[in-house]
Amino acid sequence: MIKFILIVNKLGQTRLAQYYTTGLSINQRVALENEITRRCLSRKDKECSFLEFRDLKVIYRRYASLFFLVGVDEEENELGILEFIHCLVETLDRYFENVCELDLMFNIDKAYMILDEMALNGNIIETNKKTVIAPLHIIDQVSKKLK
Amino acid sequence: MSMQVRDLIKAVRGCKTQQKIREVITRESALIRNSFRKEDKINRPRNIYKLIYIHMLGFPSEFGQLECLKLIASPSYIGKRIGYLGLSILVKENQEVLFMSTNIIRNDLSSEDRYIVGLALAALGNIGSSEMLRDLAPEIEKLMESESSYLKKKATLVAIRTIRLVPESVDRFIGKVRTLIGEKNHGVVLTGLQLVLSIVKTEPETIVKFRKLVPGLVRMLKSLINSGYSSEYDFRGTADPFLQYNILRLLRYLGEGSKKSSKLMADILTQVGTSGGITKNVEIAILYEAVLTILSIESDSKLRVTAINTLSRFLSGRHNNSKYVALNTLLKAVNTEPKSLKRHRKVIVECLKDQDISIRRRALDLVFGIMDKQNVESLTQELLDCLPKAENEFRYDITAKICTAIEKFPPNDKWQIDTLIKVLTIGGQYIRDDVSSMMTSVIGRNPDLQYYTSKKLFNILLNDRYRNQTFLQVSSWVIGEYGDILMQKSEKDGELITTTQALDLFQILLESSRTTDGTKYYILTALIKFSTRIEGHDELIKKIIKPYREHVNVELQQRACEFFLLFDYSEIRDPILDRMPVFVEKEIELEIEEEISENNNKGMNYNLQENTHTIQNQINNIQNIQNIPNVQNTQNTEMNELLMLNTDTKKTQTQNKQDSLNFLKEIFNGSSSSNTNNMNNMNNNMNNNMNNNMNNNMNNNGGQDLGLDLGLGLGLGLGLGMNNQSQRQNQNKMQMQKQQNQNQTINQNKNQNQNQRQVQNQSQNKSQNQNQNQNQSKVQNQPIIVYEKNGMKIEMNFKVGNIRGAPAVMSIIKTTNSSPLLISNYLLQVAVPKTLKAQLSQPSGQNIPPNGNGSINQQLQIIKMVNQKTQLAILLRINYVINGQKIVENKEVSNIPIIF
Repeated sequence: MIKFILIVNKLGQTRLAQYYTTGLSINQRVALENEITRRCLSRKDKECSFLEFRDLKVIYRRYASLFFLVGVDEEENELGILEFIHCLVETLDRYFENVCELDLMFNIDKAYMILDEMALNGNIIETNKKTVIAPLHIIDQVSKKLK
Repeated sequence: MSMQVRDLIKAVRGCKTQQKIREVITRESALIRNSFRKEDKINRPRNIYKLIYIHMLGFPSEFGQLECLKLIASPSYIGKRIGYLGLSILVKENQEVLFMSTNIIRNDLSSEDRYIVGLALAALGNIGSSEMLRDLAPEIEKLMESESSYLKKKATLVAIRTIRLVPESVDRFIGKVRTLIGEKNHGVVLTGLQLVLSIVKTEPETIVKFRKLVPGLVRMLKSLINSGYSSEYDFRGTADPFLQYNILRLLRYLGEGSKKSSKLMADILTQVGTSGGITKNVEIAILYEAVLTILSIESDSKLRVTAINTLSRFLSGRHNNSKYVALNTLLKAVNTEPKSLKRHRKVIVECLKDQDISIRRRALDLVFGIMDKQNVESLTQELLDCLPKAENEFRYDITAKICTAIEKFPPNDKWQIDTLIKVLTIGGQYIRDDVSSMMTSVIGRNPDLQYYTSKKLFNILLNDRYRNQTFLQVSSWVIGEYGDILMQKSEKDGELITTTQALDLFQILLESSRTTDGTKYYILTALIKFSTRIEGHDELIKKIIKPYREHVNVELQQRACEFFLLFDYSEIRDPILDRMPVFVEKEIELEIEEEISENNNKGMNYNLQENTHTIQNQINNIQNIQNIPNVQNTQNTEMNELLMLNTDTKKTQTQNKQDSLNFLKEIFNGSSSSNTNNMNNMNNNMNNNMNNNMNNNMNNNGGQDLGLDLGLGLGLGLGLGMNNQSQRQNQNKMQMQKQQNQNQTINQNKNQNQNQRQVQNQSQNKSQNQNQNQNQSKVQNQPIIVYEKNGMKIEMNFKVGNIRGAPAVMSIIKTTNSSPLLISNYLLQVAVPKTLKAQLSQPSGQNIPPNGNGSINQQLQIIKMVNQKTQLAILLRINYVINGQKIVENKEVSNIPIIF
């Protein structure tokens, strides 16, 4: 099961955070994000993409200036999650056309929607990019009409 | 008017410091709050949007929670979208507000717009609380049957959450599984599989039912593998890997414990395990899951070997990630598949040289896991080879593993010593603390290797004297201890090792600035030992030791002073510096375990205090016997007080108790030692105390610090404690030592020598006896009534066993009160013969209620200190108050049926 998905930039600033567990206060959350990010950023390219953090496994992948971090429990397939991160990035890429940090910042609601289409409650639901983006296109069309 | 979302983000991005960001956010938060207060409907979505951003930056946003509810209640989709987003991000932790949203969500679930239903489901799936989900379960169930696959998969995921939070609702969803898995849409099938997984985890009994799904799942997997390219769910040439590995995971749960199901999936698992390539991450992910399944289910040995081979392929691949998962999996398989694992030794060892520390660390664990008697030599060599290149932190891990291996599977003692020396020289300071004690114990029990080892260490030292401190300590100990053997044999062999050479080396090491004070203790001790091992070098040794009498380090100074004085007392010098008795490692291990389990407070310090205390007693005794004037005694009590100050209050209490015990012991003996000149008595006392000391030393410090051990041993011989307390105390000690030395007659010295020998013999005997006594715990169940008066009854039962390797009797003392009066201020004191040592625990209370309505329990441990058969006899002193009357009574218990 996925416990959290984080997108941070290389300065360690959180750009998107989705937690599938409860019980974290805002301070604990900030501390957790800081620590994980610090450890991820300090790793070298040649090291593997997994690190152990408390009782979680954190799987991370870097895309240009953005780090995608996914915390999972013991049972999850690390390599599968790595593939999921790639799938998420490809989907974001397809929707935003070459996704970058600013796209996420200014369209955080859309980013969350894409994520919710792909994963819910810590489980992966959909990995077909077209199916994921379809509802977003509909929303975009509707809001264009409204304008 | 608050700003646009875009402007806020720009403003925050423009801030150079965290302080500036805080200012911007605080200002904006205030504006948002104002706008909320004014019920500004138009700007509400925008404000929530901003709050989401503010929340992400880690600033408070609670004031927006109710606004989210208002938004999701609004009719427009845009408002609902932001509202639900806000709900799942901002309101997540606030159960009350969440619960208030239940009805709005219920309405949305029955909306005609499927995107609105989708929004509500997504929010429920992410944040739904158990109360909400329990309330909404019927709606969720209905939506799982919806025609739209978009809603179906979302509803299924909400069902998974419901099962997790409300386990009793599981029955509701079991019936839905078959249709979900039978769907064509991959998303629906995927969530269906995850639903089965969560049902199986919550209700393991359902596994039997779900085993019927196995053939279908196998077919599905087969078609996925054979389907080739399908544009919809293609991941770099692999058809829907997520579906594939989820099927494999479900198969794992279904196959576990069932031979029939395992057989059904064997073919497809072989196909997956052998066909896939290992170049792409996707392929490896599926292979990895397949391997996990093969290893968990009841598969035949051939399939298991295939699985291990696949993992080995991962290890020889280029990807670090696959290496990591392979090592992790192999670690889990170490116990079940040791044979096939050992075949891949080469690849595993290769991973020790990987650039990634987490891979190296796992490889190290695995190397250790596959180690056995046959391959220990070659594998240890491999570990030693990668030691010089390893970084410090990892070095420590490697040496620790090597040491454990040396202990666990030693082919022979010579190999053990060679490897230990290698660890010491290469490992540098990053070695486990007990390496030195392990080394000395191996040498101690192998007289044949003493020359070999000391020569080897000496030559290493001679060629490169700036080794690490641990190495210097061990080698100076060994050379000092076996100096005579080294010199004699090397002369015979024609080796060019001379005593002067050794002494020169020691002097250079002592004077070197790189040698720490801790190491210097060892070197000084080695030097003084040399003086007894080899004759004719006393003057040179004296010359080397002399300057250290004025060293800044008090400990070093004291040692030097004592050693220097020892030259004048050649009769006591030899026995004091006699060969160390062989360490018995088992005893040390036992001791350490016990210590850990017993009490964390009792550290080294505590033991030291105890030692010093007994040594003080010993001094007391000597002084009492010799009628040394009172002045001396006051000094002594002063010292005692000083010592007391350093212990915690609890300890002080026990010390007091010990004192009163000593007092009782004297009663028991029927003679008071304070004024008698009786040599015999002194002898007894000395014997007893030294015995205590020696045992304590052996037990407590044996495995921990060689230098300290020696120091205490010597201090004991001189009637001194080696506790590094204060300069002043030190001076006191020196003074006393002089006086004592002057007072002691040759006769006494001889006695002491005998005692010393006796103690050594005893400690050796003790270790032999220990094994015999270990399994001898017999229970004498009948309690003996030892005292019955005024309605008070004291019962004792006895059990023979051993404590810290010494034979002992454990007893539970139970005191009851059948009189109609309350017994208060109850205190029991115990005395035993001098050959025994008694320890009485705190009583469970001080007062015993009348008419048998309560009891006091106390534990008594009696440890045998001398190796001879002893009839157990106990003297009790019972103090209590009954009916306002204080009663003190002595009672001797001699009818105990125990001889030990």
